Amino acid sequence: MYLTENDVRGIATYARIGLSDGEVAAMTVDLNNIIESLRPITEYDLEGVEPTFHPIAGLANVMREDAVRPGLAHQDAMAIAPHVESGAYRIPPILGDNGGDR
Amino acid sequence: MRGLAAVLQEWEAVIGLEVHAELTTLNTKMFCSCPVDFGAPPNTHVCPVCLGLPGALPVPNRAAIESIVLAGLATGCEIEKRSMFYRKNYFYPDMSKNFQTTQGPVAFCMRGSLLLEVAGRSSRERSCLDGTLPLPEAYAQEGYCTVVGITRIHLEEDAGKMVHVGGTDGRISGADYSLVDYNRCGTPLIELVTEPDLRTPEEARLFLQALRQVYLTLGISDCSMEEGSLRCDGNVSLRRRGAAAYGTKTELKNMNSFKNLHDGLAYEICRQAEVLESGGTVAQETRHWEPASKRTISMRVKETADDYRLFPEPDLAPYDLSESFIEAVRSRLPELPDAKRARLMKSHGLSYLDACALAADAETTAFFDAAIAASDVASAPAAASASAVAKPVANLLINDVAAYLNTHALTLAQTRLTPAHLAELAGLVAEGTISSSQAKAVFARTAAEGVSPARVVADEGMEQVSDESAIEQVASAILAQFPDKAEEYRAGKTGLLGFFVGQAMKATAGQGNPKLINEAFVRLLEG
Amino acid sequence: MAISVADYRSLSARAIRDGIARADFSACEVAGAALAAIEAIDPRVHAFLEVTSKLAHEAAVRIDALRAKDQPLPALAGVPIGFKDNMNLLGTRTTCASRMLADYASPYTATCVGRSLAAGALPLGKLNMDEFAFGSSTETSCFGRTHNPWDLDRVPGGSSGGSAAAVAAGMATVSLGSDTGGSIRQPASFCGVVGFKPTYGVVSRYGVVAFGSSLDQVGPFGRSVADVATTLDAIAGRDPFDCTSQECATSFSAVLDAGVEGMRVGIIPAYLEAKGVEAEVVVALKGAMDRLERCGARLVEVELPNAKAALSAYYVIGPCEAFSNLSRFDSVRYGYRAPGARDLGDQYEKSRADGFGPEAVRRIMLGSYLLASGVYDTYYYPAQQVRTLITQDYHRAFEQVDALLAPVSPRTAFKFGELADPTAMYLSDIFTIPINIAGNGGMSLPVGRGEASGLPVGVQVIGPQFRDENIFRVAAALERCYPEIERLAPAVEGVEGGEA
Repeated sequence: MYLTENDVRGIATYARIGLSDGEVAAMTVDLNNIIESLRPITEYDLEGVEPTFHPIAGLANVMREDAVRPGLAHQDAMAIAPHVESGAYRIPPILGDNGGDR
Repeated sequence: MRGLAAVLQEWEAVIGLEVHAELTTLNTKMFCSCPVDFGAPPNTHVCPVCLGLPGALPVPNRAAIESIVLAGLATGCEIEKRSMFYRKNYFYPDMSKNFQTTQGPVAFCMRGSLLLEVAGRSSRERSCLDGTLPLPEAYAQEGYCTVVGITRIHLEEDAGKMVHVGGTDGRISGADYSLVDYNRCGTPLIELVTEPDLRTPEEARLFLQALRQVYLTLGISDCSMEEGSLRCDGNVSLRRRGAAAYGTKTELKNMNSFKNLHDGLAYEICRQAEVLESGGTVAQETRHWEPASKRTISMRVKETADDYRLFPEPDLAPYDLSESFIEAVRSRLPELPDAKRARLMKSHGLSYLDACALAADAETTAFFDAAIAASDVASAPAAASASAVAKPVANLLINDVAAYLNTHALTLAQTRLTPAHLAELAGLVAEGTISSSQAKAVFARTAAEGVSPARVVADEGMEQVSDESAIEQVASAILAQFPDKAEEYRAGKTGLLGFFVGQAMKATAGQGNPKLINEAFVRLLEG
Repeated sequence: MAISVADYRSLSARAIRDGIARADFSACEVAGAALAAIEAIDPRVHAFLEVTSKLAHEAAVRIDALRAKDQPLPALAGVPIGFKDNMNLLGTRTTCASRMLADYASPYTATCVGRSLAAGALPLGKLNMDEFAFGSSTETSCFGRTHNPWDLDRVPGGSSGGSAAAVAAGMATVSLGSDTGGSIRQPASFCGVVGFKPTYGVVSRYGVVAFGSSLDQVGPFGRSVADVATTLDAIAGRDPFDCTSQECATSFSAVLDAGVEGMRVGIIPAYLEAKGVEAEVVVALKGAMDRLERCGARLVEVELPNAKAALSAYYVIGPCEAFSNLSRFDSVRYGYRAPGARDLGDQYEKSRADGFGPEAVRRIMLGSYLLASGVYDTYYYPAQQVRTLITQDYHRAFEQVDALLAPVSPRTAFKFGELADPTAMYLSDIFTIPINIAGNGGMSLPVGRGEASGLPVGVQVIGPQFRDENIFRVAAALERCYPEIERLAPAVEGVEGGEA
């Protein structure tokens, strides 16, 4: 057992996914099974082994020139949105019971 | 609450700063080719990348990497050749991907420092001078120097902007809803973190000013605290004088001017002292400076917010900067404010304060240097050689030019004034053709109309009388006119010299050379 | 002379282009036949989430105009193509088979899609997939499952199930898919078509909705190695919008006839004895080994000692990257927004809970846990170290051989609902995942039907990083050894109408 239901609630809060109590219970079982299956990772002797974060060996310093290119037309940027007002994306109040501080 | 000076007698404040500067002088954003441009209508400088559309990928701006390396070289940092971008994962609606691309444990610039000079009365705020150095004697100022360590400077992307609707004063709390604009989202941002080496709010203020001057000189940011392109957070803790261990620190936000930085820190130091002296403990928290009510208030902070799930950004290649890349950036380093000031004092014999004033911004320094160069090449008489005009040029720039620009809300580039004008005007003063008070009038016309000073002087018949025999004649005539006053002078009332000079100036309609007049009277009365 | 639906379904990309060039038929007629095939067949297969008749016709008109002016035709001129629905195409929805993006119309086009169209291909539409590519059966699509054209009661594999099924059923000549852990190769194997995952970096990922950024790679499906090579030639190469994309100077079409004389092909003995691998899969693999040897290749036994750790490394790295990549789906700028939220946090939680299906939620949750401070050092960092070991395995192997031959999937296509347990489903990718971890290229090539199941079986040809031409040489030679192989799924035969 790696995670309690309470842990799973905390993870869901961080990932911003609302789960019902029933979903939390089922998710706790699933996650514990999956994490158990990851055990080989924790048992390897990895002393002195460098990590490979990028699969292409030696790839480095990829950059572009500082030149403007046309982006999206304003109306195209707005057309995809669930709710717009005054040319901006409208969202519900940020501070509430569930408010997102940073 | 006790005042800052009293608190700092017993407590030592330990202050560190985090300074964010947007690289406003670049053409494009950090990871996409949208323009860096402020004041455009909302969401008009956006693309799939900075809007975080599905499938979009980041591509770093080479000029942003060059800018941060430039900043690192200018602040004595070691340039880390190998580094990576990381993703800092947290949800906030002005950050389109809900992760910020920033750097990890290794930043482009590490372990630098700035030498801070604290001169004048404000230097007395620091009650313990341990670890500081004296100011150079040439400065003729009370004060000290202190080295402020720079932990790192890293590169990241800025967030968008929000407008909160329906609450009071556009505040987030109590708002009915918010509007998000991503024009600023993805603007390149460099964050500099200092060591906790600052000890007074004044040092913090001076550090930020010095850093701003460095960035302005490098031309990497417009550093406007008003517009938010330069932002500063502080953290501060107190310890008893002589104690080694640090106290609990608080983090201070919303100090969006030099004054607010100073006042916010000063308030927080006094608040912490009061808490500690009444037996309480300082809570480790983030506090918001409210300039209107002159206090800091605690911000609600979620415990989970600290875990940013940082991991290397797989969409971006790592960096392995070459020596030649770094050297190419180094070759672009301009003369930095400290070096500039030292040069002005050494080569032109200017005072510390004059040098500070001229070095304060790149445009003024460049104008000064150009004026000196102009007086070198001009076929001016020996008296108007470069060193002789340095002081008058400096005076004109610091006093007359500054006042003129201020009054008319102009920059040097917006006036019709050229460095050659300034050199000519200073030359006219140095060779005694006009007096300094006449110079002011000449300057006003030159600045407004672009007419050369020599032309103004000729037009208005302002040439000073510098003919010694002519002046001696005037002086003799005045002594003859006031024999009793001459007697009084000879009897010891030497203060009357001013009276005689004034009479002579009146007699020459203000065009007599005051220095020569002075000398003439002394010669006649005492000789 | 027009083209019948039946003729269209069996034509190769090359034959279509040549036919248009010779004026045997027009591109518009090809488009008409392809759309007729979709209309006739797709109700039973459900490979398409959106059919773009108008775009296909417009593209066909442009090709016919070139032909009319006797101008040279590009490589994929008139070739009907379908795109996995995680690829953006302006004017279409990009749903990722998720409720989250059910109505999302992309304002831009992915590089791989744009290059296909620039090469003259006719866009037929968007193809079904597992939601956000999380799955191996296309069952997690929130718009209904896709049926395997060989047996409509079975899955087409996944996550690019729609891309494989559309080609196997003869609706599209070629298609594009994406492969994060086997999502091109496994469905290709299940559907009896050729599917290729190039070396990471050969094809731009720009505009393809990310799952695992360091694992994802786009690749083509076709009914022949040649069609796959032609399509790859059109889409490969450096893209200034993707930092990880690389220059590609090789023409894969040009190496197909080179043969395998003198090539060394590696066999991994442990793979032939691995637990849970069905006998018919082993028989098929051994059959391929024999044929390659007869073609002049030398078989060499090699070891991949760390391959067994690949699965756990994958289920660390994949979910971590996915967690972060899927954070942008927050209902602010686009995508599903749940009604009636009190505040922003509430809206996030409701929208993401309702917008994502269960498998997406599981992977996001797993990634969110694995990246937490403290946990990162236990799983994420070691997983990237294991990645180094796996990569070294391949480096060593490819010092001895020019290509590797391996199974694709331990079994043939399974029935709907047969693998309900997520961990059991994860195991079906054990032979494909290590290639994504190491970043190499791998192709699934059909070698006939399994002797027990009667369903298609593929073998996997793997090459060294950025030596994908080795794979094409081996696969093309092997393909010539199986002239009898059915190119079209018989389960949907007999449905075609007359002339389009």
